[in-house]
Amino acid sequence: MVAVGLVAVVTAVSCGSDDSNDTSATAAPTGSEPTAATDAGGTAAPAAEGRELVIARDMDINSLDLSRSYCDTCQIFNTAVYETLITVDPADPNKILARLATSWEGNADNTVFTFKLDPAATFTDGSPVEAKDVKWSWERLANVKASASYLMSGLNTLEAPDAATWGATFEAPNSAFLPIVAASYLGVINSDVATEQGASAAADADTADKAEEWFLANSAGSGPYTLESYTQGESLVLARNDQYWGPDKPVFPRVTFSQVKDSSSQLQQLQAGDADIAMQISLDSVSQLEGDSNVTTSVVDSFNYVYIALSPGAEGAEKLQDPNIRKAIVKAIDYDGAIESLVAGKGKKQASPIPNGFLGSADLTLPSYDLEGAKQLLADAGMADGFDLDATYPEANVYGVDFSLMMQKIQQDLVKVNINLQLTPVQFPEWADRIDAKGIPVTAVYFAPDHTDPSQYIQFFGEIPGSSWASRAGGGDAGTPLDNPKESELLATALASSGDARTQAYTDLGQQMIDDAIIVPIVNPQLVLATASDITGMHYSACCNLDLGLLGLAG
Amino acid sequence: MRRFILRRLAVMPLLLLGIVTIAFCISRLIPANPLASIVGERALNNDKIVAAAKARWGLNGSLPEQYFIYIKNLLTGDLGTSFRTRQPVTDDLLHRLPATLELAAGALLIGGVGGVALGAYAASRKDKPADHFSRGFALLGSSLPVFWIGLVFLFVLYARLGWFPGPGRLPPRTKPPDHVTGFYTIDSLLDGNFTLFRQSLHRLVLPCFVLGWAYMGQLSRLVRAAMLDEINADYVRTARAKGLAERLVMRRHVLRNAWLPTLTILGFSFAQLLTASVLTETIFQWNGIGSYAVQAANTLDFPAVNGVSLFAGLAFLLANLTTDVLYAVADPKIRLA
Repeated sequence: MVAVGLVAVVTAVSCGSDDSNDTSATAAPTGSEPTAATDAGGTAAPAAEGRELVIARDMDINSLDLSRSYCDTCQIFNTAVYETLITVDPADPNKILARLATSWEGNADNTVFTFKLDPAATFTDGSPVEAKDVKWSWERLANVKASASYLMSGLNTLEAPDAATWGATFEAPNSAFLPIVAASYLGVINSDVATEQGASAAADADTADKAEEWFLANSAGSGPYTLESYTQGESLVLARNDQYWGPDKPVFPRVTFSQVKDSSSQLQQLQAGDADIAMQISLDSVSQLEGDSNVTTSVVDSFNYVYIALSPGAEGAEKLQDPNIRKAIVKAIDYDGAIESLVAGKGKKQASPIPNGFLGSADLTLPSYDLEGAKQLLADAGMADGFDLDATYPEANVYGVDFSLMMQKIQQDLVKVNINLQLTPVQFPEWADRIDAKGIPVTAVYFAPDHTDPSQYIQFFGEIPGSSWASRAGGGDAGTPLDNPKESELLATALASSGDARTQAYTDLGQQMIDDAIIVPIVNPQLVLATASDITGMHYSACCNLDLGLLGLAG
Repeated sequence: MRRFILRRLAVMPLLLLGIVTIAFCISRLIPANPLASIVGERALNNDKIVAAAKARWGLNGSLPEQYFIYIKNLLTGDLGTSFRTRQPVTDDLLHRLPATLELAAGALLIGGVGGVALGAYAASRKDKPADHFSRGFALLGSSLPVFWIGLVFLFVLYARLGWFPGPGRLPPRTKPPDHVTGFYTIDSLLDGNFTLFRQSLHRLVLPCFVLGWAYMGQLSRLVRAAMLDEINADYVRTARAKGLAERLVMRRHVLRNAWLPTLTILGFSFAQLLTASVLTETIFQWNGIGSYAVQAANTLDFPAVNGVSLFAGLAFLLANLTTDVLYAVADPKIRLA
């Protein structure tokens, strides 16, 4: 009772100051300029001037240094603060649009690419964006040897014949290069400013570059927003670039990403008016937003997916070396049931590791539940009595999919064909240790695209030399049992061709990976985009996640 | 007393070295790969990227080499750079410490004052409805899981009723006060911004109550038991026989003598609150050391894990020392040597 009294006293002290119930005070006090009026319910009024945008998000930021960053939130930050030469139409992942470049072209065999920079483009300090900055930024990306550096692999030379022209040459054909250039990690940094702060693009940049800490508090881009402050685990604040050179001026004076870990808290804050955008609301919570006139909700297709991987080369997975047993497992999974139970039906089946909507995905046959077919395959392989398999997986909830639930569902499905999965959830670092040491027979992982070219899926999942999953599954080198030379040939064809031939090559690659039965996509979850009702332009982009420059205010 | 304190302080570095060594060994010897969170899952098979990451983060030497370098840096006050935040661990801890201290102090205030008062009240109404209610309230606090009660409070009191603000130390769209102490309540007062003071205080209520309630339950039961032990003592009977009012008997005699065991719990509780705020900080988006520790452990952020271990060890050692000293001050019969 005394404690309750204490609470009451403290509450009384703060009486009238309840920040969610202010009626007249501005919601940006503390010595700062008022930025947003709030109504009695705490919902931000749609006063265009001075309205600050708040995005509730579980931020996965690993770095704010463009060349070292590699995460979903980084894609949003990079796109807002730095600019790429070209970008991807949010409505069509296969359509490229201009950004810093006014024109671009590749030669017939996709080995030489030339870009013309927009002469009007300027960095936030007013200096022009020049070809030397592009060269420096891309060289730095390659040489810091960070997670996204792989995007520059195969690059032969980078040339800047004049301030406005820019060229890249590859050792081998690379039709993926234009989509890669649209990836947020290939944005352009003001090289003069960054160099002054200890940044380096030299060959030894992985040790010589000392600018990462500077980039945690500063930015040097040409995008519609600049970095104002970053407090890890709390907030990321962007300020409007009032000198932005592009045609579409940014609307919001400030954009604050607020660290909100779970889906239900994001939903509560959106409904209470404490946040304007929530992008990680779980798919089964959408119904709670129905009828809320202050919130606009849409469910859109995404290019993300979760999958299980079967690794015949892992310790204890000898039985998976028979492709028909792997195919039996593929047939024994009830995909529709999984989609219903994991994402409340708001997801799609996916045929191959190439996600729905990407080149090469359209003509592939979606997987189907075929219990009898699975039993027959197992019987033919002499495994009708079944066997046990270790299924160690990272404990995670990604894209609204709870991995534990997913693995339990798959366990239930497989037990019907007498395959018993021994489920072991572990933390991600432990999983990483296992997968690269002795392998894991059956595991679960997820994938979101870094860019919009399908080649990334073959390079990561295909049974070709250099592929991560070829190595993890027990192959990896040419001539090993899992090696699929046909995939290497098709990938070379796809990278050297364009148009229908390229599409056909990726379709064939998708079919090859289905036949490998190593990577089994379970669900391609949709995405909930929930915003305050006066926010316009909300979207999901394959290259950039969310382009803040496209957001606006109604009225 | 001075010799006692100096001796304890002199031993402290050795104890801290032991703590750091154990934390270092455990974090390095568990079968897990910190590169998963440094370079990400997709780059784990890229030899160039992995080699560069190992070199950059000091993971390419043998375990004894890594330990020697760590201890050498530690002696200069360098706790290393966090794999995850890319900032010096010392800066990370110092930045987050005020948030955790503010939360722990509020919880200690609610839990401590509430626990003592509730325990004393229950003892004075032994076996009466008020006693049962107090014990029930205390039991509830110490039994309910913090994460559950935190989520329920947020759902009911914030999302549905709007009586309390949502998670976070400050309202959305609000700039923090100029950094002086890092305590938003104090810094806003120093800024002369009373609106912000009230807002930051208001935002402390729910997380402090959730964290303090569990502690209040333990403390009230302890105080009740200690007071019931004292309540029938001879000196209390004498006080009553002298005609002293019951309220004065309870306050001046019973509670004062029941205070000593409580003091021990109080001292340790503060250190416990500092380190046990993990769930509360996560639920209430409180960017303190508890949430930092969780993220560090989940991603196997070696420097951060070791830094948090060092901090926790230091907190417990200081709490232990402070409790011993206060014990001697409170009870002149106890002599520290």
